[in-house]
Amino acid sequence: METLLIALMLPALAIPVVYGIGKKSAKTAALILTLIVLVSLSLLLTLVPTVLSEGQYIESYYWIPTLGSAFTLFVDGISLSLAIATLILVSATTVYSINYMEEKSSLPEYFALMSLLTIGLIGVFITSNLLLFYFCWELMLVPTYFIIGGWGYKDSFKTAFKFFIFTHAGAIFVLLGIGAIYMLTGTLDIFEAQAILATTVDQSILPWVLISFVAGFAVKMAIVPLHMWLPDAHGESPAPMSALLSGVIIGAGGYAVLRIALGTVYTAMVPAGNEFLLVLSFFGVLSAFYGSFLALAETDIKRIIAYSSISHMGYVLFALSLFPSSEGITGAVLHLVNHTASKGLLFLTAGAVMHQTGLRNINDMGGLASKMPLTAIATAIAAFSIGGIPPFACFISEFHIFVGAVTAAGADSSYYLPTILMLIATVFSLAYVLRYFWKVFLGSPKAKTDVEPVTTDETGEQKTKNNDPSMFMLIAMLALAAFVVILGIYPGVFIDLIHAVTSII
Amino acid sequence: MNIIDILLPTIVFTVCSLLTVPLLRLVRKTKFNPQHFMVAWVLLTFSAAAAGVFRIATEYFGQAESFLQISSVDTLLESMSTVFLVDTVSVYMVIAYLIVGSITCLYGVLHVSSQENLSERYYALMLMVTGTVIAATFSGDLLTLFIFWEATAAGSCFLVAYKKSRESLESALKYLVMVIIASGFIIYGLSLIFGLTGSLNFWTVRDVLLTTANPELLVVAFAFIIAGYAIETAIVPFHMWMPDAYTAAPDSASAFLSSIVDQGSYYVLLRVLLFILTPTAVVDWRFTVAIFSAITMTAGNLFALAQQNVKRMISYVCIADIGYNLIAITSITSIGLMGNLFFFFVAAMETALAFMVIGVFRKMGLETLDDLSGMGRKMPLTSVAFVCAALSFSGVPLFAGFIAKYMVFTSVLQSSVAWLAVVGVLNSVLQTSYFLRVIHYFYAKPAKSDVPFKEPKKLLVPIYCLVVIIVVLGLYPDLALDLLSAAAALLPT
Repeated sequence: METLLIALMLPALAIPVVYGIGKKSAKTAALILTLIVLVSLSLLLTLVPTVLSEGQYIESYYWIPTLGSAFTLFVDGISLSLAIATLILVSATTVYSINYMEEKSSLPEYFALMSLLTIGLIGVFITSNLLLFYFCWELMLVPTYFIIGGWGYKDSFKTAFKFFIFTHAGAIFVLLGIGAIYMLTGTLDIFEAQAILATTVDQSILPWVLISFVAGFAVKMAIVPLHMWLPDAHGESPAPMSALLSGVIIGAGGYAVLRIALGTVYTAMVPAGNEFLLVLSFFGVLSAFYGSFLALAETDIKRIIAYSSISHMGYVLFALSLFPSSEGITGAVLHLVNHTASKGLLFLTAGAVMHQTGLRNINDMGGLASKMPLTAIATAIAAFSIGGIPPFACFISEFHIFVGAVTAAGADSSYYLPTILMLIATVFSLAYVLRYFWKVFLGSPKAKTDVEPVTTDETGEQKTKNNDPSMFMLIAMLALAAFVVILGIYPGVFIDLIHAVTSII
Repeated sequence: MNIIDILLPTIVFTVCSLLTVPLLRLVRKTKFNPQHFMVAWVLLTFSAAAAGVFRIATEYFGQAESFLQISSVDTLLESMSTVFLVDTVSVYMVIAYLIVGSITCLYGVLHVSSQENLSERYYALMLMVTGTVIAATFSGDLLTLFIFWEATAAGSCFLVAYKKSRESLESALKYLVMVIIASGFIIYGLSLIFGLTGSLNFWTVRDVLLTTANPELLVVAFAFIIAGYAIETAIVPFHMWMPDAYTAAPDSASAFLSSIVDQGSYYVLLRVLLFILTPTAVVDWRFTVAIFSAITMTAGNLFALAQQNVKRMISYVCIADIGYNLIAITSITSIGLMGNLFFFFVAAMETALAFMVIGVFRKMGLETLDDLSGMGRKMPLTSVAFVCAALSFSGVPLFAGFIAKYMVFTSVLQSSVAWLAVVGVLNSVLQTSYFLRVIHYFYAKPAKSDVPFKEPKKLLVPIYCLVVIIVVLGLYPDLALDLLSAAAALLPT
């Protein structure tokens, strides 16, 4: 069966369809794209039993044998969980875009770019070929550039430029790493390469390869000090794009660190102490604190969430630094899944608030809960999850991370300090989330938010304002909220999937 | 195979080139549309030449030798006899010239609007230059190479001067002076080599170089030859003529020169460095070339970054491309050779595409970045073609430029000059930044006037031919790499 191939190629086939139909009706185009994404999603879901029982599922097709490359599509528990979460978020954002983008122009192009982006978003997770991985890695970049630039807010193309240069510079170091692996092993399949690298006598170049990979991926993950592109890009892009950027694209960086940098290169190296991992944990802690502090100080509704993403990528990097502890990896991957859903939802709700009130500064807001009750509920679910409050999703994964961290600290005392610092960081995470929710939805209404829901503008047309958004936005947010709740109450499926992975753990 | 078979494509081009002038004058007197006639004529010429190349290729691939050496039989002057060389590398290059050359020549014909007169000598020159480049590519001794290469350079000078404006005459003169200096160097080197070895044949010279006890003087001779070709390739600091020449040349000529003549000059450099001066036991040129490579790409990209005139910017990109090519030459690996050859073809298409799109804009009087503000919305198809070229230059996947850069950077990683890969990667980022700036002007800036622009339907045909080839090769590079993996075996060890 060509399940994965079809799942990957459906969005590609969707591009002309969506573009053509979008010329007539953008809404129909978006619904068709959603349908296609859902078909891809259900194709992936059919693989769950196989992966649970056999650990992995591989399809291989003929591609560029001259460069030691085959079109290998591969899923194991880790990549399948992330791909599923990604597709759920993509379908939610597409539906959300129908109302959110309706006042904007050039919507056929927007939805065509979204379908192009979708290929990249799934592709990075479901391949074991490094060249194909890089194709998809850059495919996450180019459509995003045009979406941020074309439909973003203030100075959108400047922001998009910054995003492109930063992440492309990172990507090209990844490319160097990929080239080095090819020169050393003659193959681009990560599992074959790992086996060959492990038996190579001369390993002197491997640390450089590792650093090249980690530096490249860390740019995408927005680890401090390589994070400068993120607040602008997340803040100024349209809300659906922010959700995908924060939910999937930076998460893909975390996945790549695990799968390629650690899983392929680091495991092949002769273990020479865990200094490298300790450095990673240091940067994780640094990012977690930096992101939380700036999120506490920020007043722009979207930039708060953007900084929160930096902080959460710090959590993921910290969890990855516990490699190869099973708890650490489970925590990291589960946190990526939870973060995809929760942060995606948080950006969508923030976008709804901006869309309905026209405000960005949280000091101008207040008391919106009574006017936008459903948005408030969705925000609460997302925010509490991000804050790590039980029983919401991110609590479960953070719990796994700390179990892993404490175990690691028990075995190696040098992990004490990072673990303690990380525990302190969670307090700040909770603080900015509560501040955010309080300022926006609770408290007393401010002048700008305390207006009647129905206003009449100059032309005499009635406009609804400051109430819950229109149907499609609500559907998207509530569906995603339901997913977050399910993730929190019943994380078992994903944990089982992750535990079924044998290649890394 | 005899010498006529090898020269057949060149003869076809020469004859057709000479016939262009009288035929076009004749057509003007009849009711035929001269533009239609020229399109048919260019296609006819190229397909006749392609048939000739096809014959050479089938004969070459039909036998077991890794290369064919064909010389004119002249027992009296044996040491001076002309030698031609057919191997995978030269066959591949000639196929690349034919593909890109036919597209750029067609563009040249279509670029002239119907009111203007088609200039018969201009097209005659284009066909002639294609013929000489092909002969230079097939040549198997240094003298034949020199003769055909100088013929190419002379033809290029005339193409640059064709607009007859002060600017273009000046830059053509600059080009001509540089070419003459370069040929002086080369001739001097050739005379030394001939005096020392009694031959100019690639293989003889190489054997002598490897076996002789005192190769010092031969090394000096090769230093002269390489310096000469370095000037013609526009390696920094000998690059000054190139941006002027390409900016002043007619738009279609820039596309043609950058894709055919430029790539031809890299090929010559590759032939001399990799196939004669390797292995590096006699003279280790790798470090020197690596330095020049780093300087060339960095300078090319920095200058390009500073340009406001888009055509000039692309001229500097051509210089940066030489730097990337030199990276792979320095590595002396089979993947480097494959990468080089793939890069030649891809760079030819990218630069041709960029110059062609800019030619469309220049025809409407838009020259600087500022003029291009908002064109992304006014002329979407034309702009998208440029975006494809820009992304391919930047090394973004889906486009062939990515595979080329990947192979080039990868090749050098295991050699003694691995730092060159890092320099190349940083340059690639620099390159991305100025291409994004163009895209920024296309889409982010508001249009300067409300004048509607019409997309030139006819010109979009050759432009989109190139876009399609770039994308197809980007997704499925094996179409070219299959042929090239045979070339990799030719690399001397």
